[in-house]
Formats: sequence, structure tokens, C-alpha cells
Amino acid sequence: MRHVPEPEGRRGRRRPPTYYGVPPIHKPHWKWLIISYFFLGGLSGGSYVVATAAELFGTREDHDTARIGRYLALLSILPCPILLILDLGRPERFLNMLRVLKLRSPMSLGTWGLLTYSGFATLSTAAQAASDGWRVGSSGILRSVPRRFVGALGAPFAMFIGGYTGVLLGATAVPIWARNARLLGPLFLSSALAVACAAISLILALLPGQRHDALERLRRADTMASMAELCCVVAVHLNSGPLGKPLAEGHLGRLHLAGSVGVGIVLPLVLHALGQMLRLPHRLVVILASLASIVGGFIMKYAVVMAGHVSADDPAATFEYAGGRQTLAVGDDPTPAGNGRGGRR
Amino acid sequence: MRLMASKHLPLVPSAQPAKRLGFLTDATLCIGCKACEVACKQWNQLPMDGLELTANSYDNTGDLGATTWRHVAFVERFEDGKPAFEQPPFQSGWLMLSDVCKHCVRAGCMEACPTGAIVRTEFDTVVIQQDVCNGCGYCVPACPFGVPDLSMFDGKAHKCTLCYDRLTDGLEPACAKSCPTDSIQFGEVPRLIERARDRVTDLKRLGVDGARIYGDDQLGGTGGIGGLNAFFILTDEPEVYNLPARPKLPQDETLPGLLSTLGAALLLGVGLAFSFRKR
Repeated sequence: MRHVPEPEGRRGRRRPPTYYGVPPIHKPHWKWLIISYFFLGGLSGGSYVVATAAELFGTREDHDTARIGRYLALLSILPCPILLILDLGRPERFLNMLRVLKLRSPMSLGTWGLLTYSGFATLSTAAQAASDGWRVGSSGILRSVPRRFVGALGAPFAMFIGGYTGVLLGATAVPIWARNARLLGPLFLSSALAVACAAISLILALLPGQRHDALERLRRADTMASMAELCCVVAVHLNSGPLGKPLAEGHLGRLHLAGSVGVGIVLPLVLHALGQMLRLPHRLVVILASLASIVGGFIMKYAVVMAGHVSADDPAATFEYAGGRQTLAVGDDPTPAGNGRGGRR
Repeated sequence: MRLMASKHLPLVPSAQPAKRLGFLTDATLCIGCKACEVACKQWNQLPMDGLELTANSYDNTGDLGATTWRHVAFVERFEDGKPAFEQPPFQSGWLMLSDVCKHCVRAGCMEACPTGAIVRTEFDTVVIQQDVCNGCGYCVPACPFGVPDLSMFDGKAHKCTLCYDRLTDGLEPACAKSCPTDSIQFGEVPRLIERARDRVTDLKRLGVDGARIYGDDQLGGTGGIGGLNAFFILTDEPEVYNLPARPKLPQDETLPGLLSTLGAALLLGVGLAFSFRKR
């Protein structure tokens, strides 16, 4: 067991008691597998939603957007169950997740949500592939699938896959996540949509042919989602108070500021503005801005997950989050109890 | 698919009124002998934690974990530069407490568990069914007290079972049985609470002003947990013993979190529709 030095007391305040700095709660074991799942699940859900929006509200020029969105949704959800199963302590028991449905457990909801969404993603993509002329199993039936209708039905589940991961983090005892339980869902969802818009733009820009209007609409959607993400990042910062340290200070804080906000949100805007000013090749600008947005989205998820590790390891954070009114003893006045330093006459 | 624990006592709730069994762990009686740790490991066949020294007083286990279900904390304090032996003789600079799973009335680990491996037994205790747990690890950060942990040996989550196997045979848990000072008392929770209140009153009369119950839902220390079936008598702030003063039930944030995500989804959906609309 590692010895952790007790935190230094602040001026004018009694040093908060800790037990040799030993964390009072346990942090999760989630690392790269889960961070990658958060990213890929978000990309998939976001792509599905963007494809559906392009199908329902877009013009003829948005057909390619919808098509790429459908394929991307399926391709990026395929590795997700593998990542999740590999992360289990007993991977061979993954089916036990399907024994129960528990409405108050985000992980249980997520299991069933992922299953349902995968069905929609598969059906929508197969129908898309059939109408694109691929020879899938029963192309005849698949071609007759009402794609807009299925897309509209699946979109809420896709949104859920994009956002529930934030709720999952929030419904824990980890101080920085729990304090922001109502903000992490919206944060992950908006990031998922921004990353999806960027990924679809990237593929469109890499394909031959001019798609200026489609790319322009994707840029608008990306900017909208990025602004929502920025609002959530700022809200998390304001809402966290002293618990927000891991995302505001140190190595991780700098990574979050530079990566999630700088590269993921600001850089694409700057690139587009520069591109217009300097008349740079549109395709190049789109490619660079999309890459920045995708990288930023991944860094955001990494930073939020790792910040939870730092936060769980900090006794002061747990005592701040789960502090407040002291415990009362029998016969005590139910107002905040003295200085609590009992035991001596 | 029926789960039967033994032929006498089914795991599914029976028609009979359930007993609510738990621990009262009285820090003022603990002498730090660690008999509870040893008895727990022996009975439950838990491996050792390694020959390590934490350098935190006499505490060599450090924390509750997958293979440590009782943990004796040693709080050694130097008040105003005075070592423990120069301070008042009782409950001052030298505190001990045997920490354990709290078997919460509303248990975060149980609500988080996506497989239903964590169940409430007929004794109102919280047990992880080892034949169901698939090691997802969600109960680990979902416990506001840091109790369950994944084992490096079998990949599954483990914690105190309140000796479920002993209870079914009418025995008291191993730690309570082995405790030489009755610092760990086992019994029906309502009766233990009465006993704890009497004890705190006595302690106060003896001048231990900081004496308090931690984990009685009427007296605090439980936040949204609704009471602890394994509760404690402390003589100082809970944080001194590494316990959170107002633990919250993490799953109380599930519905608000989902609703705010739903709101965001609606707004973003409208935003997307406008982004793709013809101009």
C-alpha cells in the first residue's frame, strides 16, 4: 500500500481530517477499452442521428451524407461489444448482462440500449446497402424497408448511445463525475454529434467529386454541436467548484483545455475562418478541421474518464462531495455539530 | 430459473417476515488486535494481501478490498505536537475502528449491478452472487464507502457477505465471533440501534463529547442511503476514520441525468434539423 502524504492545510482553515490520505472510495478500473468504447459508441450514435437528419430534412445533395452516416454507424458500433466484453473481469459471462433490466442502473440500460440500437443500425445500413445495389441476403425485402421511418425510430436510441455513457459516469460516488451527473450526458451527446459530423465530412472530402453544399450543411451541424459541447464544458467547470481541479489543473487539465476545447472546438472554427480569408483549398480545410474535431472528441472522453480516477483518489474531494452536515450524536441539537473534536474534557 | 441458496433458506424473499441482521461496531471498544481480519480471512478463505507495511501506524491492510472484508484502521494523532501517550487516556490521539461493508438499506452497489449478481438476502444483507458476477466493475465506483473491489485472482467483485453461509446455519459472522472485546456486535439491527443509543448516552456521561452513531438513519451519517445495517459508534468526525459524513446514493442521479440528456437530445435534434434544412 502506497503512503500518500496528507494534503497541506490552507491558511486560516483547520486541516481537513483524512486517514493518511488513503482514498475513502474505490476508483473504477476503466481505461483505454472503455474510453475507446465511449468514443466509438458516440461516433456511431452520432452518425446514425446525422444520417437520419440528412435523410429527413436534407436535399438530394445530402444523400451521400446519409449514406456515409449509415455505413459509419454500423462500422463504428461493430468493435464496441468486443471492447466491452474484453473489459469484463469474466468475459465469458457477458451474457449475464441480459439476465435483468434495471431502470436505475445506467449500465443495465446501456446494455439493452446498445442491443436495440445495434439492431436499428444493422437494419438501416443493410437497407442502405441494398438500395445502393449491394447484394445483401434478401435485397428485395431490404429495398422495401421504409428507411426514413426506421431511421426516425432508431434515432432516439442512437441519441441514447451517444449520451448515456455520461449518465453512467455520473451515477457513481466519484466526486467530479457525480457532481456533474446532469451535465456529462449532454456533454458526451453533443461531442458525439460533433465527432460524427466531422467524420462524415472527412470521408466526403476524401471521396472524389464536389460536394460543397453538403459539406457546408455538415459544417453548420458540426458548429452547432461543438457550441453545445463548449457550453457543457464551461458548465461542468462552473458547476464543479473545488471538485473540478482534475479537469482544470495539472497535466490532465492542460490536456483538457488544449485538446478538448482548443483542438476539438476552437481549431476547426479557426481553420474554416482562415480558409475563407486566405482562399485555401476547401477540401484541405475540411480535412484538417474534421481531423481536429475528431481528435478533440477523443481527448475530451479521455480527460473526463481519467479526471474521475484522479478525483476518486483524492480524499478531500470525496469528503467535500459527501460532506456537509456532520453526523449527530444522540441528544445533539440538529444544527451543525460544534467542531466535532470530541473525546476530551 | 430459481436460485436456491440452500435447501432450508431460499434466496428469493419468503413469506415470513425477514429479520434485519447487521453489525454494531463500537470504536471505543476496539483494541486493534485484528482478530476480526484474521477470522474473516480464515472463514471466507481469503488470500493474504502480501507482506507489506503501509507505514500508517499499525495498519497493514490499508483499505477494504476484494480479499480484505474487515479492515482495522489505526488513527494515530499528534495533537499540538503531543504524542498519543501524553494526551487524555481515552479516545484521544489513538483511535481504532474495524471497518466493514455497511450493508446499506439502499445499496449503491446493488442498484448499479447490471447482471443482478448483487442481491439483498432474507437477512436484509447485501451479497454478491459469485456464480453470476461477470466482473464489469460498476459496483466498485458505485459504492459511496469504497467497499467492493475486483479480485485479481478471479476477476469478479468481492465484499463482505456478513457470513451468509454462517447465518443460514444460525451462527454469528466470524469477525463478531472472534472479537475479544465485543467491539463488533452482531444481531438484529433495531436492537443494535437501541444498544448503540444507550452506549452513546453512557459515553457522553463519561465525558466523551464526540461520541456519535454513524449510520443510523435518524441520526445522520447516511445521506440518501437510508440507514446502514452495519453501523458504527465513533468518537470523532467520520472523516477521521475515512468515512464520508453524508454519503449519497449514486443512482439518485440516474433519472435527472437521463432527463437532462433527453433535453439536450431534443435541442440538438432541432438544431440538426435546422442545419440540414434548405436555405
